[in-house]
Amino acid sequence: MQGPSTMSFRQAFLENLLVSLQLQQEHTSKHHSSSLGAAMSLHERKLAVKSSADVAMAAARGAGARWTRAILAPAPSACKVQRCRRIVIRCRGRKRSLPRSARARDGGTSSGGEVARRLVRRRTMALREVIPGGRDAAVDEATLLREAMDYVVHLRAQVDVLRQVSEAVQRFGSSILQ
Amino acid sequence: MSSRRGRITDEEINELISKLQALLPESSRRRTASRSSASKLLKETCGYIKSLHQEVDDLSDRLSELMSTLDDASPQAEIIRSLLR
Repeated sequence: MQGPSTMSFRQAFLENLLVSLQLQQEHTSKHHSSSLGAAMSLHERKLAVKSSADVAMAAARGAGARWTRAILAPAPSACKVQRCRRIVIRCRGRKRSLPRSARARDGGTSSGGEVARRLVRRRTMALREVIPGGRDAAVDEATLLREAMDYVVHLRAQVDVLRQVSEAVQRFGSSILQ
Repeated sequence: MSSRRGRITDEEINELISKLQALLPESSRRRTASRSSASKLLKETCGYIKSLHQEVDDLSDRLSELMSTLDDASPQAEIIRSLLR
């Protein structure tokens, strides 16, 4: 995860990103001058940049992680049913754990370990939400942790590269994107 | 590299947890105890990923704004406009 693999990742990510941004810039200036077709709103542009950054990051990562596949090939809408089921199950589970004070008064009928396990489960589910592909039931805890580590490392690089590109565009203007 | 199927050992989980802790920013490492609970670490990781997402969001905002201010100044756009006049 560190060292040369990160450097070649950054390079590939930067190249992918610049290509996407160039295409986006071309598209924008074409429509601007032709007055045909709607120019992208600022919000749409921001979403395009963000999406380009994610795709560039996932593509540069290559094989060896699940989160990349989730970004590059998002789940079909058929999985919406599964997702709804999971949300309902999650909510039911939460309701069950709510009367914590009542249990404490019980005098330890539910062990501290059980409460801790419930907390870990809830936190694990929260983590699944923020990692692409984490919601997949096939991802066990160990895999989730490994995915989290990999994703964090690459997210950090994404932030760095985006910052570098912003600064370069600010300083050198459009020549970067031509 | 397929790991053995079946139950994941506590050792494996602990190893992953300590590796994960090493990745989190220095400030949160100091706050959590050296023997931090798994749930604390999961919470930290979640929060860290969310903050990174926010940074990406802000930078995308900035970059798209910069790109839109460039459009008018872009030499290509100017050439095309002058041809259409």
